[in-house]
Amino acid sequence: MLLRRIFKEKLIYLIIFANLIIGYATFIVISQFISGQFMWDNYNTNYDRIYRLQLFMDQKENTLKHTWSVTAALSRKDLIELPEIEKIALIHDVGDNNKSGVFLSVDKKNQFLSRFGYYADQSVFDIFTFKFIEGDSNQALTKPYSIVLSKELADKLFPGGNALGKQVYGENKVVFNVTGVFEDLPVRTTWRPAYLLPMLSYAVLTGQKNYENNYWGYTFHTYVLLKPNANPAAIDNKIYDALKDFRKEHHPYLRPMAKLNVNPFFDPSLYIAIGLLTFLSVLILILSSINFINLQTASATDRFREIGIKKTMGFNRRRLWFQFMLESMSLTVAASLTGIFIAQLALPSLNNMIGWGSFPNILENPKLIFIILAVTLITGFLSGIHPAYIISSYNPVAALKQKFISEKSNGINLKKILVTIQFSISVFMLIVAFIIFRQTNFMLTKDLGFNSQTILYSNIVTSKEGSFEPLKQRLLEHREIKDACVSDYIPFILPGGDDLNWEGGKPDEKVFVRYSNISYDFVTTYELEMITGRNFSIEYPADRNNCLINETAVKVFGWQDPIGKRIKASGKNYDVIGVIKDYTVFSVSNPNEPHLYRLLQDSIVSNAVYSINFAPGKEKEAMNIVKEEFQKFFPDDAFEFSDIKFLTQNEGAVKAFQSLQRITGLIAILTIIISSIGIFGLILFMTQRKMKEVGIRKVLGFSYGSLYVNLSSWFLRLILISFLIAWPAAYYVYKVLPGANKYGVQIWEFLSASLIILAVAFATISYQIIRALRVRPVEILKDE
Amino acid sequence: MIKTVNLSKVFKTEMVETTALNNVNLEVAKGEFVAVMGPSGCGKSTLLNILGLLDNSDSGEYYFDGIEISGFNEKQRTNLRKGNIGFIFQSFNLIDDLNIYENVELPLLALGEKKSQRRKKVEEILDKMRIGHRKNHFPKQLSGGQQQRAAIARALITRPKIILADEPTGNLDSTNGEQVMHLLEELNTTGTTIIMVTHSLGHAERAHRIVNLFDGQLVMERSDKVFEPVRKLLSAI
Repeated sequence: MLLRRIFKEKLIYLIIFANLIIGYATFIVISQFISGQFMWDNYNTNYDRIYRLQLFMDQKENTLKHTWSVTAALSRKDLIELPEIEKIALIHDVGDNNKSGVFLSVDKKNQFLSRFGYYADQSVFDIFTFKFIEGDSNQALTKPYSIVLSKELADKLFPGGNALGKQVYGENKVVFNVTGVFEDLPVRTTWRPAYLLPMLSYAVLTGQKNYENNYWGYTFHTYVLLKPNANPAAIDNKIYDALKDFRKEHHPYLRPMAKLNVNPFFDPSLYIAIGLLTFLSVLILILSSINFINLQTASATDRFREIGIKKTMGFNRRRLWFQFMLESMSLTVAASLTGIFIAQLALPSLNNMIGWGSFPNILENPKLIFIILAVTLITGFLSGIHPAYIISSYNPVAALKQKFISEKSNGINLKKILVTIQFSISVFMLIVAFIIFRQTNFMLTKDLGFNSQTILYSNIVTSKEGSFEPLKQRLLEHREIKDACVSDYIPFILPGGDDLNWEGGKPDEKVFVRYSNISYDFVTTYELEMITGRNFSIEYPADRNNCLINETAVKVFGWQDPIGKRIKASGKNYDVIGVIKDYTVFSVSNPNEPHLYRLLQDSIVSNAVYSINFAPGKEKEAMNIVKEEFQKFFPDDAFEFSDIKFLTQNEGAVKAFQSLQRITGLIAILTIIISSIGIFGLILFMTQRKMKEVGIRKVLGFSYGSLYVNLSSWFLRLILISFLIAWPAAYYVYKVLPGANKYGVQIWEFLSASLIILAVAFATISYQIIRALRVRPVEILKDE
Repeated sequence: MIKTVNLSKVFKTEMVETTALNNVNLEVAKGEFVAVMGPSGCGKSTLLNILGLLDNSDSGEYYFDGIEISGFNEKQRTNLRKGNIGFIFQSFNLIDDLNIYENVELPLLALGEKKSQRRKKVEEILDKMRIGHRKNHFPKQLSGGQQQRAAIARALITRPKIILADEPTGNLDSTNGEQVMHLLEELNTTGTTIIMVTHSLGHAERAHRIVNLFDGQLVMERSDKVFEPVRKLLSAI
């Protein structure tokens, strides 16, 4: 019966079905996106017991508050004594993973720049779940000079397989023995090494002999595995003052692995974003359910005869109710299954589009399927109640006679409320989507404050020494090269720092300040702006004892006139000679931190970064030139050049914003589609309901124009009311939106979102009304 | 007032053709009260719709007030209908969403009359129909008789030249039916032309003239009294 009806009334059922499918598919996709955010690291068998050691720095505003870069001594001296802890793993980057990688090779010739290598204790294999393809995870990092490779890297180095026992050269100097190959870790992994070296070799390879007693070097990472039922809060209490003899403002604590992706540093931003997305997806579900109710009731109007006859023949209300409920439920369940299917099909392209490895496979997530099915049954039931009730409650005579639904309507009725809700939700969602879109756009396109377009930067580790000047002069001989500099860090590669006193500050007060060492031309190469004072200059030999600072540092130190002020860093005094205007040092989302720039002595340092500012449009030529010149200058070293855009566009926050922006765009488009369907359904319903009135009015000689105004003003009123509801709600969302870098919301966003809905509504209204008006009044007013 | 020459109307569906009207020649003079009778499906309502300019004929001529209008398009028909023709339906056809006052006011709105003017006319006619006290009620809250009086008020408010009534008493009990008939007669004495479709011989006989339709054809017309055979025919149906 239902199938026969579906075939008969193709259009209306197509709309009903499309509406539901879009509603469910959107809900499913967003749920997947959101649950993906909570599924990071959860493949680890010990997921619930893994914690990361972090530090809380109880210091001034505008400075770093939390970090997971810690000292080795904390794990080697303090944590190790705690009975609640089962395993501790100390980890350190090989090289600086923020900056560059290490060149690995098998034959000393084909060198691969490999990032994300870590020194690690053997215990990482007890704490995290690594699946070994080759080798023994129980002793892979127990011998010096071992190397454990991820499958991806192993395939690169040893395309034929069988890496175990073979040798790998690091920077063509050190030889490692492959003791294991592990399966690539899932994308949603917080700590995702490409290869591991034993911590045993750290001291020898880096020269940091005494690192285990070092409470000062914040360059290590520590993960712990708690014993079952251990209380992390108790541990936090015990280690709270572990650094009191060193930096009393710093307090170690443990952060559970479950929080590392969504909220590592007690910043609710991502929660708010997730909450907002959840809210939007639920709204889409509500929208499509309201649409379903309206469309169901609307399409039921021509079923009076069926109902009348069935009632006459003795079907009771319960049975009819059951019949309509069953129809409604089977439609929603079918739509939901199709929605899952479509979401599943769309997954690869969504993953591509949204990025960030955001979407888990729905089949990985039985909880989600359960939730979706529950939601389906509930919405199916709720959206079935109204039509089933209305339809089954008609008295048989009236049902047989009546051609159109006529409801008691004086003042506010359910339909009006549904319509207003429908419009409010649509307008609200569209405005919010606009706001999120604009906000993310603002973050993604904001001026970074430095030349982020025409810079190439190097990855090189060299043992060569001497001056950078000859190389620079050779580079500048080419017209395509405008400027060049050398520095230990560049924008979007985050430098470390230290806690400093400053002139005029309290003697015992310190703040965390990041350091960079830069050559004379850093400021010009990156086209940074000096606010006051001067840049380093070769004409001032004393500049080796001077420094530059950024705007934020001036603010944090509270200096009126920064020039000539003194800062002590690494046991040496520096005089401030200039202030650099704040630029985005690392992340578009983070606030700026104080920054100190010292002069890099005019000499080549083993792992410095060379930056080349090239003439616009000459990227290819510049790339060839630097390759050639570097080849001549560093004949013994492997190097690689990259475009600065690679850094700025792959930064975590940028990618997160892009994901958010794209998923919001998706939501906006679907909102428009689904509200058009809704409006279509409503208007279909309303025009049917108003058919009689149209007929009467036509008989009385009303013109088309006045009828149009009459019919559409009904909607216009409700749409205007819905603006009154949606606007403040959307503004509230803008207000609670987190972020240090909020853009200024503008009235035209509210207006244009509203206008879109209005336009959609009027297009549909006009289509339907004109159709309704074409019907001859005789047809409508016939008395059977 | 009204004259038709060989008026015909055929309804076509995919399968069948039904001749609703077949060469109907009818003339109604100004001030006349004509009843149209005939069995179900004989074409009474179709005739009334065409006379009321709600529908077009397929062939034949139709003179309304001396103007040949069978070729009029919908807009022209609407303009001619406005204010000139009043309709009364069996099922009243009041708009449920509007109260009685607003329902009666509608034709004046269509004519674009001023508010003060409208108020005056509506109140006057509602009082005349003895439903002034219910003007703020909605149709569903009224009895059938009251609803029909409101519908008549609506038909009369523009002082139309002609009233077309399609079984105005069909949904009413005898008392209310009688009241409506009385109203129509009264209206007719003030000069309004009335064409009324009815099943009730009693009510039909109160018209000046009865027109009988059978299978789309005018079988006979007579004034004063109905022929005995027709009476038999009708009672047989």
